[in-house]
Amino acid sequence: MRISKIKLENFRNFSSVDVNLGDNAVIVGENKIGKSNLLYALRLVLDPSLPDSARKLRAEDFWDGLKRPLSKDDRITIAVDLTDFENDENQLAVLADHLIEPEPMVSRLTYVWQPLPGLTHKPKKDADYEFLMYGGDRPENRVSYEVRQRLPMELMPALRDCEGDLARWTRSPLRPLLDKVAGEIDHDELEKLAKGVEKSTEKVTKVEQVRSVGQSIRDKLTEMVGSAQALETVLRFSPTDADKLVRSLRIFIDGGLRSVADASLGSANLLYLALKTLEYEQFVADGERDHTFLAIEEPEAHLHPSLQRLIFRTYLQARGETKTNDSRKTSTILITTHSPHIASVTPLRDFVVLRASEDGGATEALSTVGLDLTDEDVADLERYIDVNRGELLFARGVILVEGDAEKFLVPVLAHNQGHNLDELGIVVCSISGTNFYPYLTLLGPRGLNVPVAALTDLDPRGPKEDGSPRSPLGPGRVVNQMMSTLVDDATWDANSFDELSNMASTYGIFMNNHTFEVDLFEAGLAGECSEAMAAVAEGEPMKERMQRWASGMDVLDVDVFLSDIETVGKGRFAQRLASLVAESGTVSCPAYVAEGVKHVAGRCKRR
Amino acid sequence: MSRVGANAAKPPYMLSADQLRENDGQWQAYNSTGNCVILAGPGSGKTKTLTIKLARMLAEDVLSPRGIACITFNNQCARELKKRLSALGIVDGRRAWIGTVHSFCLQHIVMPYGHLTKLPIKYPITVASTDEVRRLQEKALNETIGSVRWGPRFDRYRRNHLDRRAREWGLDDEQAASAIERYESLLVERGLIDFDGMVLMGFYLVQGHKWIRKALVARFPILFVDEYQDLGPALHRIVHGLCFEAGIRLIAVGDPDQSIYGFTGAEPSLLRRLARRSDVEAVRLLLNYRCGSAIIRASEVALGEERGFRSSRDEPGALFFHERPIGIEDQAHFICETVIPEALGRRVGRKIGDIAVLYLDKYDGDVMAGAVERTDWQFIRIDGNNPYQPSPVTYWLEDCAAWCTSAWRTGKIRLSELVRRWLAFNESLRTESERQVARSALIKFLHNQRDANMPLNSWLSLFFTNVLQVCLDREPRLRDDKEKVEQLLTATGNGHPLEAFTVAFFGGQGGSPEHLSLTTLHSAKGLEYDVVVMLALEEGRIPYYNDSDDSIREKRRLFYVGLTRARHEVHLVYSGWYSNRFGTFGNGRSRFVDEVEAHLIS
Repeated sequence: MRISKIKLENFRNFSSVDVNLGDNAVIVGENKIGKSNLLYALRLVLDPSLPDSARKLRAEDFWDGLKRPLSKDDRITIAVDLTDFENDENQLAVLADHLIEPEPMVSRLTYVWQPLPGLTHKPKKDADYEFLMYGGDRPENRVSYEVRQRLPMELMPALRDCEGDLARWTRSPLRPLLDKVAGEIDHDELEKLAKGVEKSTEKVTKVEQVRSVGQSIRDKLTEMVGSAQALETVLRFSPTDADKLVRSLRIFIDGGLRSVADASLGSANLLYLALKTLEYEQFVADGERDHTFLAIEEPEAHLHPSLQRLIFRTYLQARGETKTNDSRKTSTILITTHSPHIASVTPLRDFVVLRASEDGGATEALSTVGLDLTDEDVADLERYIDVNRGELLFARGVILVEGDAEKFLVPVLAHNQGHNLDELGIVVCSISGTNFYPYLTLLGPRGLNVPVAALTDLDPRGPKEDGSPRSPLGPGRVVNQMMSTLVDDATWDANSFDELSNMASTYGIFMNNHTFEVDLFEAGLAGECSEAMAAVAEGEPMKERMQRWASGMDVLDVDVFLSDIETVGKGRFAQRLASLVAESGTVSCPAYVAEGVKHVAGRCKRR
Repeated sequence: MSRVGANAAKPPYMLSADQLRENDGQWQAYNSTGNCVILAGPGSGKTKTLTIKLARMLAEDVLSPRGIACITFNNQCARELKKRLSALGIVDGRRAWIGTVHSFCLQHIVMPYGHLTKLPIKYPITVASTDEVRRLQEKALNETIGSVRWGPRFDRYRRNHLDRRAREWGLDDEQAASAIERYESLLVERGLIDFDGMVLMGFYLVQGHKWIRKALVARFPILFVDEYQDLGPALHRIVHGLCFEAGIRLIAVGDPDQSIYGFTGAEPSLLRRLARRSDVEAVRLLLNYRCGSAIIRASEVALGEERGFRSSRDEPGALFFHERPIGIEDQAHFICETVIPEALGRRVGRKIGDIAVLYLDKYDGDVMAGAVERTDWQFIRIDGNNPYQPSPVTYWLEDCAAWCTSAWRTGKIRLSELVRRWLAFNESLRTESERQVARSALIKFLHNQRDANMPLNSWLSLFFTNVLQVCLDREPRLRDDKEKVEQLLTATGNGHPLEAFTVAFFGGQGGSPEHLSLTTLHSAKGLEYDVVVMLALEEGRIPYYNDSDDSIREKRRLFYVGLTRARHEVHLVYSGWYSNRFGTFGNGRSRFVDEVEAHLIS
């Protein structure tokens, strides 16, 4: 089972959110954007440990953008759609009454905080409200506690006390696991084991020094309260009672050398997660529940980056790998995180990005579910995110470029234009090629709707063998590969190729006149090019050629220019050039770069 | 190895199961592991077997969150079953659902799934009252056939012709088909659903949608059906779809010999066919714990079939034949003045509540009630002229009255249970605050009116104004119940039959040792008495003068049902003639009485 959709109305940061989810949810977004509120919204619907008193919200839980005083029509609504349960008969039994779609089955659970029915005046105080929980979009169809009990959400808060919980038996996640097996072991067997433990214990306690400690404790107690009231103390390892034997086992780490109390924060958290997961699987196997929605707040707080990647790669991918095997899907993971390490191992479709709306008044939630991407596209994007630690998802704005050269130079050029990309939260992302489609689909209005610009080359081509001219590659790319995923269907159908091509810049697509380096050269950075070549080229002829082009002594031979740069390495050349441009502070900049930067920066500042 | 420790108490069903061990059939049913049809003769401990088996399956075979649905013939049976199950610690609820076939179809098929299909239903679902059904049927009949004297044919055709797209639908009876189609479109126009419609819609949904079958299998992996022989073709087809196609395990209980609802479309052959399936284990319960051996023999003679039933009783029981040639009124007086007083005297400890008078129709009931009213006995009457018709709400009202009478002290009926049922009636109250208002109104009323001797009319009027009315006016599914509660209210008014009823009396309607039972043969099914008196057994009435062979067989079964209600004594009373609005007919006593007496003499 999984959550397929969450809808929120008027709850805390959220004015109106309707977001689709994948198998799991990795919720990212800036501080205070509402990540924990999103989890709390889910708890209102799914968490059986949340008392009904906590389901009574307050005036301040209404979205701030609502006009005050609140009107009788204002209500908070939280709706959770669940799907992929129809092949598990237990889950279906719980959710059958709440269906909203039959094939494939989707059930909806809805929480509403609303003014009391029949209220004659405007609601003034919290007591004028009450909550309602119903299923299947039928308000008369009340959702019982049993649903939450069978499909519970469990929250691991950010500031949890793992060591404490592990050490205290009543709260230890080890307890239910041992309790279960203790009941299953043959009683005679246990008796035998208990006797063995008893014997060894006795030997230790009979050692003279140990015995005397025991005696002195008893003496002190007798002295304090008299023999009638004294506690009967005995020193031993575990209770002699066979039934308690297994339950008195404790976990030690480092091959038994250290107790959990001495574990590092990281080890304790790892252990805690492992035991909790086992516990939830056990509950499902025992029929006590049918699924667990496990919400973990900022798990990175106590985990080393490599552990973060290892743990969550298993948690999140395991499901993707066993898609055909529904029986193993006993839990859904919901994580809030700032960790680029967790983001780097998150399947693309599991991301939920929270972000301020354009007017800044509310938080939007976006996901990548349902995007028109092929498996290869997804693999490309995931690989990019893996290597770059998810910067795409944490960015406020993105400038997509074709290669490393642009990646080095665009931030510097932007800086000289007066835009500090780091401060603005804009990242320059090299797609290492010209396949912009998956990136624009992910980031564009159909996807995460991030302010985005794409900078691409005209890429003119030499004539065919018979001498007839060939059109450049750029325009086709702009329309068919980039505009096609950015414009809506109606616009696409209504406009010709040329019209779409002309509209490209309003959608953030900017094409140059030739190739990045050529455009740099011609935009007034010839001097810097020459200097850079002088610094990085091995042979003199190259340095000289560049110098002559730069000084205007020779007309630029584009093919030779590009092949020289290729020879020294585009990246190396660009790095050097970037330093030089930064030092000089020149405002020279190819127009398409300046426009692209302005496009994204302008939209980021508005938010 | 077991997690249940040796000292853990056995659940109640395990203790009760020991009672089944001695009876081969019951024990076989208790241990059945697949589909099972229990063919249960009269007095064979059917309900006991069914409830214990249900409790066992709930504990061993079906684990939470899945459950068992138990479909009964009517509200009366559901009420009885719930009572018996609660003694085994099983409360009616999500895990064990108990109710009529109508409420099963409405609550578990039409309401949760209907809106996701193209079925012509308006939400919220509004149930047509009996009166509305009558008026719309008349309208439809007038508009299509031009005559309203046609009701029974209408219902039967509708129940038996399920496949509307089949050629037979229009061909078998063109008039019927067109009247029914008109009637159904009138219902749809008004956004109403009627009781037969619930079952039909249930059938169409189950038949037409695999995903609905799948959801039902998940919810209820086991389906119990009680009184299978009375439930008709639509339920039969639903059961077929759910059990033999979708894989729900079926436990059906019934007795083809007690199939007496042919006019509603029920057929004894459906159950017999079910029992013959190779994927069904058929169990026969042959030991009769109720009737004496003489009564069993007589009943088999009347039925015209040897069934091999045995009595568990030492006393054979006795049949008495009473000819009262003066007519039916005289029969009734004779019963009151002689038959009942003598029967009371024949056995120590026998009470008036151990005796029942059974008859054919409500007119007989009027005659009998008139005679009883001249005695000191209190009585319960169950027939078409009952001053009020039972419904889930009137049953609940009886329980409320019983609580106000004494159960608030004795704890026999718990207030929490009354409140739970009340809130279930108030299903369109969505929020906790609204439900709280409804809850406290009820508790306040019940608490303040704990007066056994209060006139029923005052109690009900107060109840109606302060609590009931707002709910009955609002709830779209209680429109028929509303009609019935208003009937009841009228019947308790000045100059009406229940004028003298008190709260205590009304609270005892659920069955008490102090009330003589007057009931039609049809309504007597499932009940048992020490002494059964059958009235007006005249040839031409039973069987009816123009009965077909099939109908005669059904009348035999009806007579059989009457005889087998008795533990010790059966009294057959007749005049040898009868009269009605067509004249007076002297055909002698019923041929069934002849046959029984002939057998006894031989």
